[in-house]
Amino acid sequence: MTESKIPVGKRARLSVYFNKRLAQYYWERLQKNKLSLAGMGFIIFLMLLGIFGPFFTQDPTYSDFNLANIPPLGFSRQESVYDIKTNEFITTVIEGRPDHPLGTDSKGRDMLAMLISGARISLLVGLIATGIAVFIGVVIGVLSAYLGGWVDNVLMRFTDIMMTFPFFLLLVLIVFLFGPSLAIIVLVIGLTGWTGAARLIRSEALSLRTRDFITASRALGASDGRIMFNHLIPNVASLIIVMSTLSIPGVIMSEAALSFIGLGDPMRTSWGTILNAGQHTLDTAWWVAVEPGIMLFLTVLSFNFFGDGLRDAFDPQASI
Amino acid sequence: MSSAILEVENLNTWFYTRRGIVKAVNGMNYSLYAGECLCLVGESGCGKSVSALSLLRLFDSPPGKIVQGRVLYNGTDLVACSPDRLRAVRGKDIAMVFQNAQSALNPVFTVGDQMMEQIKAHDGLDRNDVLTKAKMLLEEMRIPGAARALKMYPHQMSGGMKQRAMIAMSLSCDPKILIADEPTTSVDVTIRAQIMHILKDLKARRNMSIIFITHDLSLVSEIGDRAAVVYAGKVVETATVTNIMNNPSHPYTSGLISCLPDISSGMKRLPSIPGNTPNPLNMPAGCPFHPRCSKAMEICRRVEPGLVHIADDHTVACHLYGPGAGGSR
Repeated sequence: MTESKIPVGKRARLSVYFNKRLAQYYWERLQKNKLSLAGMGFIIFLMLLGIFGPFFTQDPTYSDFNLANIPPLGFSRQESVYDIKTNEFITTVIEGRPDHPLGTDSKGRDMLAMLISGARISLLVGLIATGIAVFIGVVIGVLSAYLGGWVDNVLMRFTDIMMTFPFFLLLVLIVFLFGPSLAIIVLVIGLTGWTGAARLIRSEALSLRTRDFITASRALGASDGRIMFNHLIPNVASLIIVMSTLSIPGVIMSEAALSFIGLGDPMRTSWGTILNAGQHTLDTAWWVAVEPGIMLFLTVLSFNFFGDGLRDAFDPQASI
Repeated sequence: MSSAILEVENLNTWFYTRRGIVKAVNGMNYSLYAGECLCLVGESGCGKSVSALSLLRLFDSPPGKIVQGRVLYNGTDLVACSPDRLRAVRGKDIAMVFQNAQSALNPVFTVGDQMMEQIKAHDGLDRNDVLTKAKMLLEEMRIPGAARALKMYPHQMSGGMKQRAMIAMSLSCDPKILIADEPTTSVDVTIRAQIMHILKDLKARRNMSIIFITHDLSLVSEIGDRAAVVYAGKVVETATVTNIMNNPSHPYTSGLISCLPDISSGMKRLPSIPGNTPNPLNMPAGCPFHPRCSKAMEICRRVEPGLVHIADDHTVACHLYGPGAGGSR
């Protein structure tokens, strides 16, 4: 083995979270799960779409009533108009057009542009809200498990109370009170969604806490903070990653549901907003509701598959 | 011998469980002198480990609590001092080696990371010095390829390497006292011999005091200077190892020693002490050993014996030797 520099201090700490050989190993395990790879592929695609897509599409809020309800490319729609002079129905066939490849909605807005804008919103909400939720969950879970005693009692009873809250009602209430802005929605989902994470992390940290290496580092003079940051949290890192991945779909669904009932950010087009717009025209312009539905379905499925794959890859006991 | 650097006076560590109070350490007394190795000997469950954990307050609290007693280290009472003060003592002055090195190392860090964290936490050396020191320590522990071992994760090491790495880590701040809690139980005999050798070496070269906790009397005679025999959370006999081995005075000690196999005696079956250690929830009245003692007297059932000096540096807690008792050896 060649002599190489051993990372010390900050770099050493980081080496826990990113170790090349370990990453290689996990990557190989992940690759064995094809569904998970497909999920990861779709997520990457969605991210690229969300980041770069809006620069290339037209304004998703621009509407042109002359171009309303154009079907997607390859589909056609018949429109019958009653002519008073001739007392006849004049039937015209409207074909999909290449400048609106996924069609337009009843206000003539481009579906592709709206879907791409929705992808950006969904990912933004999903990632940031989950980030907030997991951060709070880890802090509460680790503190609760490590400090134990009355701190544990107070924190866990607080978690119980948060869990019994009808989450969606709370969401609706707060959005109603503070107005529907994206920041509020993200904050509310993040600040209410940490309960499951806190419990999971607590139970894992509880069993870690009794392990000898924790007592050993205490015996060698480590402070409580050091033990929590340097010994407990790195040991639950894989759990945190898996948990985050698996909780993103729920968050995306919540945001979509909120937008669907009209409490989303009115300045932004999200998939829920499009679904809402499409529900009235389901019999004539079905694509307006179906397209965001498919996107939501695929996104949630991808995150679930990817999360499952990650969980198996990180679990040394799982046979892949 | 010089004066004591660690004195344990009437230490009581009790665990408040749902089924009652477990008096794991129940009035323990011993002192440790500079540069000596004191062995705490006793059966499983007699309170050896808890008494060692109590020195640095490492047991879980609650349910554990030190209800009484003092641990004097350099004039500081470790039982009463602030958590911050205690934390400064841990590792720097008094370090501990655990029974199970397998689980006493953090699985997600390399051994080097863990050692360096420890060194850096206590003396603010810079990167390269820390690295050199870690390497030196591993070399001192005779771990082959120390530079490579630094980059290993605990699961890549053998049990013996882990135990030695653990000792190296605990030595990283040059502690004055090393508490070794059965450091050889989870390793095989060759590694055990190595570890014993290392410990003896440390004692000689660094003039370190060692508290060696074991149930194995052969290890006691190998490494110990003095021994304290522990029974039911109490020290029942303290003496130099030679004295303990050749002249055991407490019936429990002599019982333990007679259980050692002796190749020259030609006995077919080893003797054993009848019965088990008493249930810590329900200690017998009087001397806790009396139900198992072949020399039990009427007084043993009623009165708990105090420590009696029977010779220079030889104390024993037994009514056979008390001023009021007429017993002879």
